[in-house]
Amino acid sequence: MHNVWLIAKREYLERIRTKAFLFFTIIFPLLMGGGIVVEAVTSAHARSTSHIAVVSHDQQLATDLQAELENGKDNKMTVDVISPPGTDTRGILDGELANKSLDGYLWITPATQSNARPSFAYTPRSAGDISTKDAVSSALRTVLVRERLAHQGMVASDVNSLMQPVEVDTTQAGKNADTTSTFIAIYVLFFLMYFVIMLYGMNVARSIIEEKTSRVFEVLLATIRPEEMMAGKMLGVGSVGLTQVFIWLIAAILLTSTPLVSSIAGGHVHVSLSAMQIIFFVVYFVLGFMLYASIAAALGAMTNSEQELQQLNMFLVMPLACCFFALGIIVTNPNSVLSTVLSLIPFMTPLIMYLRLSLTAVPMWQIALSIGLMLVTIYAILWVASRIYRVGILMYGKKPTLPEILRWLKYS
Amino acid sequence: MPIVELQKVRKVYDTKVAVNDISFNIEPGTMFGLLGPNGSGKTSSIRMMIGITVPDSGSINLFGQPFTRKNLHRVGYLPEERGLYKKMKVMDQLIFLGQLHGLNATTASRRAHEWCEKLDISASIHKKTEELSKGMQQKIQFISTLLHEPELIIMDEPFSGLDPVNATILQDTLVDLRAQGRTILFSTHRMDQIEKLCDSISLIHNGNLVLSGTMREIKAHYPRNRVEMLFEGDTGFLQHPSIEEAKTYSGRAEIKLRTVDGVAPDAQPLLADAIQRGTRINRFEVKEPTLEEIFIEKVGGKVDA
Repeated sequence: MHNVWLIAKREYLERIRTKAFLFFTIIFPLLMGGGIVVEAVTSAHARSTSHIAVVSHDQQLATDLQAELENGKDNKMTVDVISPPGTDTRGILDGELANKSLDGYLWITPATQSNARPSFAYTPRSAGDISTKDAVSSALRTVLVRERLAHQGMVASDVNSLMQPVEVDTTQAGKNADTTSTFIAIYVLFFLMYFVIMLYGMNVARSIIEEKTSRVFEVLLATIRPEEMMAGKMLGVGSVGLTQVFIWLIAAILLTSTPLVSSIAGGHVHVSLSAMQIIFFVVYFVLGFMLYASIAAALGAMTNSEQELQQLNMFLVMPLACCFFALGIIVTNPNSVLSTVLSLIPFMTPLIMYLRLSLTAVPMWQIALSIGLMLVTIYAILWVASRIYRVGILMYGKKPTLPEILRWLKYS
Repeated sequence: MPIVELQKVRKVYDTKVAVNDISFNIEPGTMFGLLGPNGSGKTSSIRMMIGITVPDSGSINLFGQPFTRKNLHRVGYLPEERGLYKKMKVMDQLIFLGQLHGLNATTASRRAHEWCEKLDISASIHKKTEELSKGMQQKIQFISTLLHEPELIIMDEPFSGLDPVNATILQDTLVDLRAQGRTILFSTHRMDQIEKLCDSISLIHNGNLVLSGTMREIKAHYPRNRVEMLFEGDTGFLQHPSIEEAKTYSGRAEIKLRTVDGVAPDAQPLLADAIQRGTRINRFEVKEPTLEEIFIEKVGGKVDA
């Protein structure tokens, strides 16, 4: 165990001191944070502040529209009402568009028949200004409906309460987590797993290959066992990945909880997870990473160069991709036999079991079994990998065939 | 009690017999040379001694016990293909390797500093390993095998790739270590190198033990039948009947005398013949055959080194 610790420590310290680590650790949250700020800013700007003109013969309609666009829920525009239009109005407005003092105008032509709607034509200064056009058309819809309802003899307060947006509250029996945040957590877990496995799983494999090309392994094997080395590598490189992820997570939590961000984003960013979910998240993430890292270690043991490794990295991605496709099955029926079986397959457990845990009450024995199976699998893979490694290094330079690998397992 | 004891050790890789029933002993406090051309099975034998591979049959005892990993802390191993972490700083690297051998960080650091001082590389200890010359890296690797003060030092081709100055420094260090009572095994394909260094040797060829014993025994077994001459003038003496074989270069001859009934031949008549012919003799030396000559004689000259 002491040797595993030494190997892991060396691996961890050497990697964490590199510039690449520092760069990724800092640049990634900056990009994410930058993204959030940019999006928040643009979505705030999406509350259009355009300056438009409304041209109508129906003054009532025009002023209603003006009120909706200037002071409505989502809008803060400046609206000029021109009612009724003169013969030169269109020319003047086109001139204002050209000299950029106006962002667009809406021309309302009254209906020719008594019960039909008037027709609307919006002329923007730039065809790309979709948000203003959307704001105008949704304001129009609101105004028209309200007008029609008032027309039918409804009181203004009734109209307003009728047009309140509907909020659906989803509460599961025995669970108080809402599905949206569950799904966000699942996607975050998936993304993190994928990212960290691709980045650091491959690093485990690479560091094992590096040991072969630099020929350090022979010195090491004269003092320690290959399985100690494998385990040390996996833990060391893995801890680097986990360190990075936890730095990012903390950065993300700090970022989303700052008043700045929530004020920009309008207070909509909040993911609520129960303490239990967070614990399972961490447990399954760590175990999942270890499992995939051990596969990576086996791949590293089998190959002699980066290129060979690239050809095999589908073995890392495929099981993960399968999980993603299976998500649909689990969501529709988290308690079916199929879902249960899938969630107990070690390669799928981290994502699938976590999803089931969030959706339904999973029996304790299944959770225990899934964790037990993962641990056994990790150990088994490492054992096989160290066998392949020990024999493989003595025959380096040649890519092993499958029968050869099977034969190696029998060597001591 | 021998420190290393190999008993009919055999190792086969797929179809190739790497080591074929080899037996030898290494006595404590001696320097032992494992000789043989490239690919003869030296590295395979060494790897089995330190448990990197396991023999197919036969037994290996270290320190009088069957192989256990615990005893590896008493062994220092320098592999033939040197390997160090390229990006690691020299001192960190030495401390790490020392710790793997069971030292604590403080002791490892102290000894590493002492050794670096001794081998004259103190100025480089804070550099990254990849920034150093090959010779320097080899010194670092050399130090790393000695940090934990092993009783048995195993070095696979320790002098290959070194310039003469550094090779001499390392040779002297090994001689010092033997004087301190350590047991040293090293392998080489350069047989001229070990004549003066080794107490005993084993010669292997194609996985077979060709010759084994102390240098004294081996040399005693081979009569002094070689003559090296430096001369000027007539070369007629080279036809002398006592000569079995002669290689001539300009002004120099390496002569093998005919041995009759295992008795060392007399070189005197040959010298007399040369003088009589008026050849000027600058040097006339009667020697025992070199290890290389013995080896070639043993394996019938078929050395594909």
